[in-house]
Amino acid sequence: MTLFVQIVVSGLATGAIYSALALALVLIFRATNVVNFGQGEMATFSAYCIWQLSQWGLPLWLSIAIGLAGSFVLGILSFRAFIRPLLAAPVEATVVVTLGMFVLFQPIATWLRGAEQKPFPSLFPEGGVNFGDVRILASSVGTLLALIVLAASIGSLFAFTRLGLSMRAAAFDRARSVLVGVNVERMLMLGWGFAAVIGTVAAVLVAPRLFLSPTMMTPILFYGLAAATVGGWQSPLGAVAGGLMVGVSESLGANYIGFLGADMRIAVPIVLTLFVLLVKPVGLFGSQKVTKL
Amino acid sequence: MSNSVLRSAATMVGFVLVAALLPAFLSGFQLQQVSVAISYAIAILGLNLLMGFAGQICLAQGTLFGIGAYVTAILNATYGVHPLATLPAAAAVAALAGLVVGLPALRLQGLQLAIITFGVAAAFPQLLLKLGSWTGGVSGLPIDSLEPPAFLADNSELWLYLVSLGCACVAAMIVRLVLAGDVGRALHAQRDSSQIAEALGVNLTKTKLWAFAISSALAGLGGGVFAILNGFISPQSFLAPLSITIVIGSIVGGSTSTIGAFLGGLFITFVPTWTSNINLALGNVIYALALIGIMLLARGGVAGLLERFAAALTRRSKPNGKATSIS
Repeated sequence: MTLFVQIVVSGLATGAIYSALALALVLIFRATNVVNFGQGEMATFSAYCIWQLSQWGLPLWLSIAIGLAGSFVLGILSFRAFIRPLLAAPVEATVVVTLGMFVLFQPIATWLRGAEQKPFPSLFPEGGVNFGDVRILASSVGTLLALIVLAASIGSLFAFTRLGLSMRAAAFDRARSVLVGVNVERMLMLGWGFAAVIGTVAAVLVAPRLFLSPTMMTPILFYGLAAATVGGWQSPLGAVAGGLMVGVSESLGANYIGFLGADMRIAVPIVLTLFVLLVKPVGLFGSQKVTKL
Repeated sequence: MSNSVLRSAATMVGFVLVAALLPAFLSGFQLQQVSVAISYAIAILGLNLLMGFAGQICLAQGTLFGIGAYVTAILNATYGVHPLATLPAAAAVAALAGLVVGLPALRLQGLQLAIITFGVAAAFPQLLLKLGSWTGGVSGLPIDSLEPPAFLADNSELWLYLVSLGCACVAAMIVRLVLAGDVGRALHAQRDSSQIAEALGVNLTKTKLWAFAISSALAGLGGGVFAILNGFISPQSFLAPLSITIVIGSIVGGSTSTIGAFLGGLFITFVPTWTSNINLALGNVIYALALIGIMLLARGGVAGLLERFAAALTRRSKPNGKATSIS
């Protein structure tokens, strides 16, 4: 039982990271109907910049603040350069371009800093607390807290602010939003900017665990995609719930299914996603989209 | 109409000429590399059907390619089947594997297939290691080298080239037949408007599944040919980036063109060879820029550019000749 609880707790902590990336993916999907395969690699690139800044002697919090601002700009630039020209094109075309971003950012990181792994400073203190036999690391608690703050701020941005309302309108119907005075293009751009910031948060949370390397986010990207699919690609709540589910089931599967072990744990989210698509194809928190001809 | 028939006949003749003349100009090693490019082209032909006509993206085409290669290797190394006789099995097993993944993923509009296959491609090399008793684990599996017939006894590279070219022609024929038949018509209809197609009685899921099954079968066939060409395979040949590379080949060549598939195969075979001497990261940068550039500037890929060029030439001689697609 102790082991079980321990596994669930550690699964929740990794799940929080998947949730963060899924939040970024869902935000972009809601805004521009694009599944951004470049999200993870963009975030890795930003993490490299943060690492470089802190190597130059800046305090960690300042490097992270600069890195987040920089990734906001990077998100906007990527949208303007790669996505805006293709907004009217079929979905496959935009996905191919995001695949191009995936392929592009990885060698840039390799080129600048080499392929070897680098230690990344943790945001949270060492150590943890014991509840009975279950040990809860401070970094796990911190990661979960960071996720909750992130999800709550995005949720309230959409629910309570005028900006969020405009963004929702722009995502829902571009043509008609223009008629009621929403600057659609600016909203889509902001969506990409915010998503890049959230992606970078995910990368900063991952980097201390996995070490910084050009391919650090590649597996995380799949977990994020799986989390978004399980959650239904619609609401921040779905992304968070999906991410935590993926994290917990992955860590349970890796420990209790003998054949899988640590090296085949990626099979768990694959099977989970296939199962959800089979049983409830729109995802657990999604709803059927109705199109008029 | 006669114009487009004429042009596709001209393309065919040009292709046959180039294919026949290549061995005369290339060294044995280069010919071997061209054969490998053709094995990739077979997988790209399948992906074109899926991506160019069904509007779905498979990011595990390299995995299905690997499944085909391993079916060929296992049947040959463990059960002693003649390498060429294993190719139908390689295609069939890959098609089945594709169906297992495609069945849940293709029921919705959208990109579920791309997402699931992205994960499958990442898991495949690990799975090969787990199934070490079948697949030989890290050390891989050998495949018997093909005995060339008597008249080519001293030129086995040429024989391998002809074999892979033959398989590629079969693959291209299959794609043409599919596109000309019922499934092809349904694919065209759903590409123009999925809702209207569905209202007219096209079963979208079934159509996309067919396209995916054929695409997977061709990936398996290409993989089988690849295994025969290499004479040895290991999990190292089928890592996750291979699948993305095959997508790049398809897009760069032109995802609705048969000739484009061959151009794409050559592109993804020779770019890494040329760039690895300069800088390991350079190949990926070229891939990425080619991919993004083609999508933003010339959606039809290199084949589309050639076609536009040819159309411009014909237009000059005949002012009212319309540009039609070769497909």
